[in-house]
Amino acid sequence: MSVRAVWLLGLEKGETSVKLSRRYPTVEKRARIFNGESYTKVPEDKVFQNALLAELGMTDLDKNFVEHRDSCCRINKTSVYEIAIGDGVLWPVLVLTQNANLYACLPLVEQSLTPHPSLMSLRGISSAFALLTGLMTFLNMAQRNESEIATKVAQLPAMLMHACPLGTPTDTDFGLMQTLSGSLVPQNAISSVQAQKQPAWKPGVYKGKPQVNVCVTEQITSMQYDKKDVIDMWQEYGTVSCKCDLEGIMPTVTVSLNLPINGSPLQDILVHPCVSAVDSTILTFNSVDDMDDSLFNGPYKFPFTPPLDVFKLCYYTSQVPIPPILGSYQMKEEEQILKIAVNLKLHESVKNGFEYCEAHIPFFNRGPIVHAECKVSHGQLEVSREKSLLVWLIGQKFPKSLEVSLTGMVIFPANHSAQPTDPFCTGLTAYVKLYFRIPDYTLTGCYVDQHSVQVYSSAKPRIITSKELLSSEYYIWNSKGDAPMAIKF
Amino acid sequence: RRFSGRAMALSNYDWAQKLAAFHANPAGFLESTTTQNFVGDLLRALTDEKTGENVKKQILGVIQEFPTWLFTNSQAAERAAESIFSIYSQLPFVPKSVNLKCHLLLSVTTIVIATDHLIRNEKVLKNLMRQLLDAVCDTNDRKYGGGFRPLRAVACDCLREFETCYPGLLSRKLDLLHTLQQKEVTPLHQAYTLLYSQVLKNAIRTLSQSRNVSDGAIREMLTRNEEIKWKVMAKAQDLSAVTITSGLSSLPSTVETKELKSSVTLLLEESFLLTPVSQAALLRELIQVVLLVRSLPPATFRSQLLRLFGTMDICLLHTMLHMKATFTDSLFTVEDENFLLKRLVCMAHHPLLSNPLKLFYMDCLLHFPENRPINSNLEENLPILFTPKMAACLFPTLFNDSSTMLSCLNLVSLMCVENAEEDRGLAEIFDYLMSLYKLVDVNGSRERTVTFFRAVYIFVGYFHNNEMFMVELTQYMVKLYQRHCTLAPHMINLINSTQNLLEDAKWPVSLAEALQKMIVELPSKQLSPHKLMWHLRVLTRVAKETTILQKVTVQFLLNVVRVSDMCRSGEWRVGNAVLAVCRSILHHQNLEPIFSDLADLLQHIHLQFQDVDIQDHAHFYYALLTCLSHEKLARIVAEGTGNCSRAKTRSLSSLMSESTGHSISVLPIKHPVLKLIPVPEEHSPNLTAAGDTSELDYEEDYLEKYLGQFCIVGFASTIVMKFHLTFAERVDPEHHRVYAIHLHFDLRNSHYEPLSDLYVPCLFFNGEPHVFSLPFKPRLPFPITLYTSAIFTREDGSTCCSQLEPLDVGFSRLFLTLPVPTNWPSKIKASLFDQLWTSLEQADSSQSALSRFCFQTAQRPLSELVTLHFQKYVVSQKSDPESYKIFLFLPPQTNILFSVEQLDRMAKVDIVTDNWKLLPFINSYLIDITSQK
Repeated sequence: MSVRAVWLLGLEKGETSVKLSRRYPTVEKRARIFNGESYTKVPEDKVFQNALLAELGMTDLDKNFVEHRDSCCRINKTSVYEIAIGDGVLWPVLVLTQNANLYACLPLVEQSLTPHPSLMSLRGISSAFALLTGLMTFLNMAQRNESEIATKVAQLPAMLMHACPLGTPTDTDFGLMQTLSGSLVPQNAISSVQAQKQPAWKPGVYKGKPQVNVCVTEQITSMQYDKKDVIDMWQEYGTVSCKCDLEGIMPTVTVSLNLPINGSPLQDILVHPCVSAVDSTILTFNSVDDMDDSLFNGPYKFPFTPPLDVFKLCYYTSQVPIPPILGSYQMKEEEQILKIAVNLKLHESVKNGFEYCEAHIPFFNRGPIVHAECKVSHGQLEVSREKSLLVWLIGQKFPKSLEVSLTGMVIFPANHSAQPTDPFCTGLTAYVKLYFRIPDYTLTGCYVDQHSVQVYSSAKPRIITSKELLSSEYYIWNSKGDAPMAIKF
Repeated sequence: RRFSGRAMALSNYDWAQKLAAFHANPAGFLESTTTQNFVGDLLRALTDEKTGENVKKQILGVIQEFPTWLFTNSQAAERAAESIFSIYSQLPFVPKSVNLKCHLLLSVTTIVIATDHLIRNEKVLKNLMRQLLDAVCDTNDRKYGGGFRPLRAVACDCLREFETCYPGLLSRKLDLLHTLQQKEVTPLHQAYTLLYSQVLKNAIRTLSQSRNVSDGAIREMLTRNEEIKWKVMAKAQDLSAVTITSGLSSLPSTVETKELKSSVTLLLEESFLLTPVSQAALLRELIQVVLLVRSLPPATFRSQLLRLFGTMDICLLHTMLHMKATFTDSLFTVEDENFLLKRLVCMAHHPLLSNPLKLFYMDCLLHFPENRPINSNLEENLPILFTPKMAACLFPTLFNDSSTMLSCLNLVSLMCVENAEEDRGLAEIFDYLMSLYKLVDVNGSRERTVTFFRAVYIFVGYFHNNEMFMVELTQYMVKLYQRHCTLAPHMINLINSTQNLLEDAKWPVSLAEALQKMIVELPSKQLSPHKLMWHLRVLTRVAKETTILQKVTVQFLLNVVRVSDMCRSGEWRVGNAVLAVCRSILHHQNLEPIFSDLADLLQHIHLQFQDVDIQDHAHFYYALLTCLSHEKLARIVAEGTGNCSRAKTRSLSSLMSESTGHSISVLPIKHPVLKLIPVPEEHSPNLTAAGDTSELDYEEDYLEKYLGQFCIVGFASTIVMKFHLTFAERVDPEHHRVYAIHLHFDLRNSHYEPLSDLYVPCLFFNGEPHVFSLPFKPRLPFPITLYTSAIFTREDGSTCCSQLEPLDVGFSRLFLTLPVPTNWPSKIKASLFDQLWTSLEQADSSQSALSRFCFQTAQRPLSELVTLHFQKYVVSQKSDPESYKIFLFLPPQTNILFSVEQLDRMAKVDIVTDNWKLLPFINSYLIDITSQK
């Protein structure tokens, strides 16, 4: 469960720097014993950084083909890398990337490294994942400017001393550690009669007005082609987030997700570790089987002891029968003039009440728009400041017909700089991307009934529930051009 | 034996800089100082009240991360441990000091475990253990209050690390640890639980290894509360975890396990209160306990399993998979197995999980712990219960990142191969490959191109036997190359890699042949030199295949050299590329059918090409072709070693032809061939005043005169040392005569001016050693190690390099006699000694230092010691009491003055120096010479 070293590397303005590194010599000693001949010691930061960048293919960027980087037999099927250091190799180096940061960690392998054992058999691999994910979540929580990140990075050594003083992480919730000002200083004095053990993941106690907040957020992705021989795709997934402000050491709450009678059943449910028990039948619904689960419409019950902060109670997916908005996009090129037509139709079963609904029509590799002449049946059309994008603001409601359309033409310069560029969207390969949010609505129909939230706590809390549907990667491809297709069996 | 120094106080900012520099590159940092000095500075700053708390934490942080760099011997480790303890005990138990206390405990623990220097030092160990146990015994904050929870947590972690690295160390404290674990109700119960479970597992493991286990052994073990036995630490330990394959015998079922059972059950019931990563750690320990104790059934975990089945947490899911691998069908039914598999599939493509996690789960699928494992799990295999439906869920899309794409492609291909009857799957995989192809064809960014070739590699790896698809793939690849000949290196790499992967597969050869066919059919007039270069690279590779006929290639080349203006322009690189194809043909092919064409080609280049080097080479190849048997010829043009490799490595064309992987070869030789032996100084009689002293005025200020000399640049700045260069022991006979030896000296620090290289014309094994002198010019006279590397030529002409054994240059080799005019009588030297002594004693310089050293003279009279080591440096001596004044000078301008005096059976050395940094060396030198037998 131990790690030999952790690194945080920043990639800013083309320059890489080690922002943080921490080695664990007692674990290193074990590694030396376990790995035997195959042992390679953890190198100094600069050496590690260069070797890592080389392994990730981030060096020699100006060269077309470099064998050690580009050879076709070097296939990384996971985020675990083997990094060459001098004569030896460091393995398994887990590397996660987020924004301009590389997070790397070298878990201890308790055997010889040749041949490489399977990742699953390594005790330390999941700890390494948890540690890096924890760091990532922490640095990502309020990432506004460089100085703020620098402040957070500066807090990390102190946090690591509490969470992972000798290389074996015992806690990875760095956000919570910060909330409790980076220490385990208790919020409450222990009374001599307390018999109940306090959860280690809830090291403080809330004091104040009791309140429970549950929010169901569903997201929909879609790829629509408007072609006979190509199947449109869409995927629905949801997250239930909670924030429970309740007094007491271990208050318990039960949240039930309900579905209307004709709602799409929830599948692939993953629950937060604070959930104390899950009915195994609701876990059997998944996207793998062709199981007839349409008869089950809840409730999905989740009893839990809430942590102090906001947390994701559960994730789910669902196979909804239709995408909420069905669209088509036709784009043709006639002598420097692009003729475009977009039709969008809101499905009648979907709530017609948006916070916002926008269709973005980008043009790549053509230079700035010289002239656009378009007519919309509803809403307004704007040309973006960069002159490469049409933004169609559809507004809060679709008209009664539930259909909106845009037709017109766009002219580009004959000799153009081709900015902005996109490798996908050349020629007639083009798309419309939709952005929308429908408050107080879910596509599956999933909801949390305020009255069904059960709270076992000294005072009666205020209970707030909400739901929303958000678009995410919602594309409609030009049916007159080639589109990158997502084939399925 | 104490010495005092007046170190310059560094500001907090300077410290932060210094520590950051060390942290970034410890080796480089220590080159500019010495470890001893740096550690001395660190410990001094720690004890200094003026040092800021943050700096102290940073110092301790460095100690926690780099103990093996800093504490290279047991004295240094012991000294550090002791001064850290004294700081720890001086810090009061007030909330303000808790953080520093944590760091101090962690530091000593790290030093003890990581360096191995203190494992026999019971004083330090007992002290540390007392502090740790004192901290952990404060359950529920009763003694020190809630502010000290971090200290308790750290103490638990330290104890756990001890138990991990020295299993069984704490097993005599099980009763205490159990009580603490049960009592604690604050969130710290997690630390206690982890500690207890670890100690418990180790204790049971030790028990299971002993021969006679009484029925009450476990009960006795659980209630033990005795002193710790330190000897455990000195032995080599088996640190590995207990697994099903460890081959450990479990405890007999007659052993009473009631207490253990209830203890394990309670730990499991409360496991929910631990953070996921700690829960996983606890479960891992308990899994081992259950494995070792037969009367504990795996079903003990059942209730936890039901809680964990739905988890989104990676640590818990991973632990569940480990449980499955360990207990197989004694814990997981077939339904469970199927259920877990589906969960894994759904997690491998769950839209709300991050890509790295999904890739990990995909990897777990390929090493799925089966209830009835049929293979070693080292290779990738699909789970037995895996269905095409599951594979369909994991089919890649064009919107995946490249790792996911390749990982999915690999998995669905594996599925497709295993279900060979399903051809539809293969067609879909091929379609997918083609959609990647289209993207590369339209606009191939480097990353996308690389991904495409990797996808092809995976596809070929699985389906190379399917002729229909392979033929189609070849056509597509040729078409791709035709349009983008810059992909030549990718194509060559694909041929090489697939050939390595599948030894006898036909596809790589057929791709090569198809590429050859396409290239030779190109109209040679329209070929731009740029495109031609890529084609020539491909043809060079194609010519390596003995089964591909090369007649067309040779004719194509002949046509090109005749028709194009290549010969006229005489571009060396193009000519060389053509010759590279020729050489590849000469090397690999049967030359009979192409003899005349090839001869024509070489002849044409020889006569027409406007570059002399190319002409010469063409002529050389022509001569080889026409004069030698094919066997000899192939050997000559072969790459790598052979009789003629020397000639070959010297030919420029062969150096340049294949740009990758070749360089002028220097053979590295591991065993040192040569060695340096320092020549001892010739013993010169003590310098006596030789000049005319009458003119000297005894009242003059000789100190000023003495110091004035140093204004002359280069005055007394060099120490010349003589060395013998000779052969090392056990040298291979092939190295018995070496020539053109080039010695390069490296001191690996900045205290000395760099030494210039030395050339020795030759050296013979039975001959005289080569004698030479090296002028060392210190900036700071620290003892050094001389690293030498040698490059030389052997008799057979090959060039070799070898490292010599590093040579230590001891402190005493840096002493010079007092650099004063030879006509100064000893009386003046003695007075100079006194003047300098007084001035250094009074000086308010931050550099000078006073110190004292005492030693026993019972073994050997003082006079003998002085004669042996200091004869040259004595400036005055007295008897009764026996005393000496010794004046040591070290370049460039350091003085060390010893005033040695006999007191009863002891001798006392008063030391004055103008450079306090030398004190550690003086000290160890004196220890060294006075303890000699």
